[in-house]
Amino acid sequence: MDCHEARPTDKFMLWVDAVGGFLVCGTDEVMLGQPVRCSAVDIPILGDISSRHALIRRDGEGYMIEAIREVWVDERAVDRTALLGDGNHISLGRGVRMSFRRPHALSATVRLDMLSRHRTEPPTDGILLMADSCILGPSPNCHVVCRDWPHEVILYRHGEELFCRVGGPNRTEIQNTHLLEIDGQLCKGKGRITRNSHIRGKGFSLSLEELAP
Amino acid sequence: MHEQVTTVEPNGNESLEFSVDELDELAPSKRPTARFVHSGGSRPLDGYTVKRGVGHGGFGEIYYAVSDAGKEVALKLIRRNLDIELRGIRHCLNLKHPNLLSLYDIRQDDQGDTWVVMEYVSGGCLADVLASHPDGMPIDETLRWFHGTAAGIACLHDRGIVHRDVKPGNLFCDEGVIKVGDYGLSKFVSCSHRSGQTESVGTVHYMAPEVANGRYGKEIDIYALGILLYEMLTGHVPFEGESVGEILMKHLTAKADVSILDQPYRNVVAKALEKDPANRFDSVAQMAAALPQPRSTDSGPGFVGGMGPSPGEGFRNPGADPAPEDFVEAETVEVHAVDEEPIERAVRDGCRKLQAAWDDADLSTPAKFAILVVGAIVLISNAWLMPLAVMLLVTYGLYRIVRILVLPSPSSSNSGTNGSATDAGRPQPMPSRPPGHRKTQPYVARKATPASNEKAQVAMVVRSPRDRLAELIGSMLAGTVVAIAMCVVMVLVSSFYNGTPQPEQCAWMVLMSILGTWAVMIPSKFWEGTRGEPMLRRFIMMVVGLGLGAIGFLTADLLMVDLPYVAHSSRELLPDYQLPPSFYADGRPLMMAYLACFGTLFLLLRWWKQANPMRRTRLSMFWALPVTILAATVVATVWHFPQPWLPMVAGTIAVAVQLATPWVHPRLRPRA
Repeated sequence: MDCHEARPTDKFMLWVDAVGGFLVCGTDEVMLGQPVRCSAVDIPILGDISSRHALIRRDGEGYMIEAIREVWVDERAVDRTALLGDGNHISLGRGVRMSFRRPHALSATVRLDMLSRHRTEPPTDGILLMADSCILGPSPNCHVVCRDWPHEVILYRHGEELFCRVGGPNRTEIQNTHLLEIDGQLCKGKGRITRNSHIRGKGFSLSLEELAP
Repeated sequence: MHEQVTTVEPNGNESLEFSVDELDELAPSKRPTARFVHSGGSRPLDGYTVKRGVGHGGFGEIYYAVSDAGKEVALKLIRRNLDIELRGIRHCLNLKHPNLLSLYDIRQDDQGDTWVVMEYVSGGCLADVLASHPDGMPIDETLRWFHGTAAGIACLHDRGIVHRDVKPGNLFCDEGVIKVGDYGLSKFVSCSHRSGQTESVGTVHYMAPEVANGRYGKEIDIYALGILLYEMLTGHVPFEGESVGEILMKHLTAKADVSILDQPYRNVVAKALEKDPANRFDSVAQMAAALPQPRSTDSGPGFVGGMGPSPGEGFRNPGADPAPEDFVEAETVEVHAVDEEPIERAVRDGCRKLQAAWDDADLSTPAKFAILVVGAIVLISNAWLMPLAVMLLVTYGLYRIVRILVLPSPSSSNSGTNGSATDAGRPQPMPSRPPGHRKTQPYVARKATPASNEKAQVAMVVRSPRDRLAELIGSMLAGTVVAIAMCVVMVLVSSFYNGTPQPEQCAWMVLMSILGTWAVMIPSKFWEGTRGEPMLRRFIMMVVGLGLGAIGFLTADLLMVDLPYVAHSSRELLPDYQLPPSFYADGRPLMMAYLACFGTLFLLLRWWKQANPMRRTRLSMFWALPVTILAATVVATVWHFPQPWLPMVAGTIAVAVQLATPWVHPRLRPRA
């Protein structure tokens, strides 16, 4: 594969104030590898791995990993492909280790966390493979756990566009009373966002930063 | 696509201002995520791009930023309106220790704000770890954190720096290495006026008792380490409470319940949490040596090096760095000195010695009282002493006010922000509790904590300003009723001797009694449950008494009350002397006489003791009441004030105050 291969990319950084920075990949297929020039890597890991090391593919509700170089899932070497489930540990090459978690039962979005001391480029606190929605909130089954937040905030995709809304147990009430400030505009409960938006609400603030493909 | 987005246009300049007050500000884990001024993508400082806010530290926001070359840093914003000195940070700028978070640089932006460029730690802080272990952390992990922290703090102490703000939010784990952060800055935290409540709230759980007196020795870090160790082992801090005042009071008086800890942790925590700094460990190294080392885990040792000099020590050119430690030490000493006003301290020491001698003197109470009376007479007979003393007092009062205004001493600002218990005259800032959460039982500790030997005094201090106000108003109403009733009694009694008083005289007495009762109740309520300085309180009471005297004269003047001076009552007792003509006209007291009488009466007695809920009996028939009346009689005699008005008013006030203010039966009091 050469440098100019066109691959669909939908990547952005999700910077959550007081919580962390997360790499969000929206495509159904993500490539894991070392970031070297010309390599089309979705999740660049600064580690002793190949520039195209493994591919994680979402297929409907399930995920599978396709090994291009040595890949282990829960200490078992992956021959060609393997299914991934909540709680699996993925090892790439010699020592890059990450966990694969699908915290929310109603969302196909999964979260990858580095277990070894390797870091991604740009540095992140976690990687989200976003299916349709990404839930940020105080409860432990959120994709991004924000302990101090008063309620949930959900980023979701509708067609090609991203939206943000507040959520929680009594959603309609919260939506009617909570104001969101999206790029300086006040919205009631939800609003359309871009991949470079700043979002602020009661007790939280976050911003998106589009990453060049 | 039917996504309806309702957009509300902001009105003019109005922006989203979110109140964070509703959140429980006390729980460190529930600190509200207040807003960040700079949002992701902004470049407040040349060369760095802010990515996100990290948190709120000593002076302002902390941001995660990336330099143009890609270096990750933490940027700490120090607002220019926080008039702080950066000397401390400069001193720490070149400290090298693996357990200390590195400071890279101090920069100024275009707006004049100062930024500290620091090492960014990707791992979580201890507060996060504690949050995931609500019942205490495993021993090995606790020891790893403790020894790492202790090594970092020992390095600071070695350089003469006191951290002052050791707390879980300032300790980080970076790839297995414990890092102590926020040093150098935190030194000034308590001096800044505006960092205010949120800042001190997070810290107050770890605040040593002597901080209330403005002492910031390295012992406070040892105390904080003790609290930290306790918290890591049990999952909660030893002194919890719902208000700053309550927690502070527990630090000052309550004993930590260490019985739930195993040895050797029990002894180590108990020694580190000694109230007297001299009884704590001499050094952090000594404290760490009393604890076992952690078993090595796969995440590597938490601490590197040890208590000794840091590895960087060897590279230091001995000639190039002329012991900057001394400079910081000197500053600490200065803080000690500035804290207490020298004249007041001297006077207080003198009074304390005198009081001790007085208490030790082998004299019966009546004899002591006689001595007091004779002393008073001697003082009065040398009439030139009085204006001199008054002048001295007034000058001193003015000096104190000017001093407070001019000198932003650490202690004064400290007590302002932290609600120091010693400074009871000032209302203590306490986070307001949600309405509806109101206590019905007075003077019972709100939470039934396992350590139930809570101090009575503590239980009193914890009361919120709202509760106090409600209680005060109730007392004042009851006091009014009692005062009126007592006045009737007094009138009846006096009619036996002097004939029935005129109606306007009765009205004057009722009014003065009610106002006097209130004048005692209001300051007493402020001082309730605290041990203030009696001299200062007396002085304040004297000012109150002067005010009361002025009101007494004006109302007497207005009501045209005739208070005839009966000349014969005192002439036999006292040597004949003449008061200045400004005091009396035709045997009628003037303004000066009223001021002198009520001022002296309020200065002489410790009135607030009669309103103390912990007084021995509700109504002291055989001590406080007779003493009050006697004192009033003496005062009236000395100032030639018409008898028996002053003793009657004083007696009424004493009864009304004692009957109307709350009193806790000794049996119901928590054992001290």
